[in-house]
Amino acid sequence: MLSCREVVDHADAYLAGELSRRQRFAAKLHLLMCRHCRRYVRQFNSLIKATPFMHSKASDEEVAKIMERIDRRNSKPGSDV
Amino acid sequence: MHNNQLTLLKNGDQTLFAALVRDHHRALIALATPIVGVSEAEEVVQNAWVKAHRAIAGFEGKARVRTWLSRIVINEAKMQLRARKKEVLFADFGDENLTEDALADRFNHSGGWQHPPANWHVDSPDALLMGSDLKDCLDRLLNKIPTNQRAILEMRDTSELPFEEICNTLSVSASNARVVLHRARTQLFKLVDHYQETGEC
Repeated sequence: MLSCREVVDHADAYLAGELSRRQRFAAKLHLLMCRHCRRYVRQFNSLIKATPFMHSKASDEEVAKIMERIDRRNSKPGSDV
Repeated sequence: MHNNQLTLLKNGDQTLFAALVRDHHRALIALATPIVGVSEAEEVVQNAWVKAHRAIAGFEGKARVRTWLSRIVINEAKMQLRARKKEVLFADFGDENLTEDALADRFNHSGGWQHPPANWHVDSPDALLMGSDLKDCLDRLLNKIPTNQRAILEMRDTSELPFEEICNTLSVSASNARVVLHRARTQLFKLVDHYQETGEC
């Protein structure tokens, strides 16, 4: 029987589908009986899905600066970055 | 991104390109920072945008646009390092013991939960990390965790690059990369869990 600690250690591989069939069975068996680990795995999965959104959008000034730089480079054909 | 948007973008629609910059610029800065350092990340990403603009017509849409842009940033960052004659990507790479397992103190001696996770209030995955207070906490954490953890977290979880590519870029083994990613994710989990429980960092 896996301990809660081991389930947490293997949560990345469990969610990525990278555990062996035996390890996966052991993890599922533990999750069936342990609500804390079920909560951990569910919320850990939400966190991984949320990570691509963790950075804010750029400000108008930042966007304008990049677009100006692109315009400048395009008006000089052949110039390298 | 919808197919018609992609077509317009590839045909040179500047408004859509500006929207792309708005959506991804800060994430790309965060990706470049652990590789070239905070002072050079901005320059690297600006150069990468110029190259992305030139190359967008050839973007096939097979990868996510964030992943495609990330590859351009990483190439640019490597060029910058070569130009500066720096061979090592991170000063503290390999010292994975800098941060212990963030959740170690949450378990008792037999490996059961001593302090189980709080019940999070999650409306949607994209909203989980969006609160402005939490964002401040998150920024502080990202600046504090070892550079290798931050690099692999950004490459894998925000840029969604395949593990194999990350390992090649950073010259680390897959098992090392997985351990480092696990540590970064559990740091993040601990932060969000504490924030959900107390409303504080």
